[in-house]
Amino acid sequence: MDLQSLKKQEHQRRIKYGFMWALFCAVLWGLWYLPGTAVWVLNPFDQMYGEVAASSGDGMALVIVAVLITAFNAATVILALGVWNGVLGKFGEMKRTLKEFHPCSKWFFLASIFGGPMAILGSFIAMGFVGGAFAAVAALMYPVVGAILASKWYGEKVTKRAFVGIIVIILGGITIFGGGVITEIASGNVLWVGYLGGLMAATGWGIEGAIAGKGLDIAEPDVGLTLRFIGEGIIWWIIAIPLLAIIGFPMIKYALLAFEPLTMLVLVFAGITFGFCYVAWYKSFPLIGVGRGQGIGNLYGLFAVIFIFLFFGDVPSWTILVGGFLCLAGSTIMFSEDTGEMESLRGD
Amino acid sequence: MVQTEAAMEAYNAYWANSPLPAADVLWMVVILIVALLALWQARTFVSQF
Repeated sequence: MDLQSLKKQEHQRRIKYGFMWALFCAVLWGLWYLPGTAVWVLNPFDQMYGEVAASSGDGMALVIVAVLITAFNAATVILALGVWNGVLGKFGEMKRTLKEFHPCSKWFFLASIFGGPMAILGSFIAMGFVGGAFAAVAALMYPVVGAILASKWYGEKVTKRAFVGIIVIILGGITIFGGGVITEIASGNVLWVGYLGGLMAATGWGIEGAIAGKGLDIAEPDVGLTLRFIGEGIIWWIIAIPLLAIIGFPMIKYALLAFEPLTMLVLVFAGITFGFCYVAWYKSFPLIGVGRGQGIGNLYGLFAVIFIFLFFGDVPSWTILVGGFLCLAGSTIMFSEDTGEMESLRGD
Repeated sequence: MVQTEAAMEAYNAYWANSPLPAADVLWMVVILIVALLALWQARTFVSQF
């Protein structure tokens, strides 16, 4: 075998792994919806919701409880990523990356600001003030933001075929959640802050992807993502929760009450799915580019519907099936792209 | 904090309509299988690149 063929073979393997990681991200993100939904009815979050809603209203209660759940989610993600890095023997690399703040870790701490408080909180604000379906559709727009930013910032190539694939997957997502969005908006009395939340989710995750793509030029995805979640943990536990407690919300009281076996078990599974999904997302970026990685990652909408049907028994409506078909069509467009087109992910 | 009866009822209601047997435990098994598969692929990936 000549050098050219070996190079081509190596390149094809990288692309194959890139799509595999993006697909792992979508499956695990879809699975996250099981513990991510069930944890809300468990105590202390259920009681906390009631207490905050009684004094500040339902919308505010949803956001405040979401902050505490997200903070616990970040903590269990750090634990899950500790296992991941331990199995892969990456702790030495983590120490090296952490020490190199200026060239390396600053990107991941920056990504934690956009992906954590901006995107996750934005998503919960959209959910609380407009509705769950609107929040899901708003979040689906993030690959467009990510692909445009990565292209303008460091010249990542997004071929026409990849862009068509991303758009078809987004259309599929809109079809999946579209009926719900119309119902939510038609119900009236939607506060503008809800739409702002949707915008925060789409831009936050898009910007995070573009920043991560930059940071991953010089750092390992497994380590980079762990630093990103350590950053998010600091934001929630050192800044947001004490600040909300000072304002007068019962954050500390309910944080201490959360150490209950079933609640912790569900949170640990949320941490495993979210942490492993995120690390797979980051791993796909250097291999297939931010735009494609985020586009395939968007299949989480379809997987969430499948897992919710399998485990919660919620039968999907026909619009969801049409949306699912569009998602599959979009991913097929991307999977079947000639790998030669992706030989160089940057520039011409 | 111990789970109240209402909380446990709401939690169990999620899995009650699942077409799969023992869905309240099976979801955790599925997550563990997918997570272990991802970890195994990550180790393979490290050894190949």
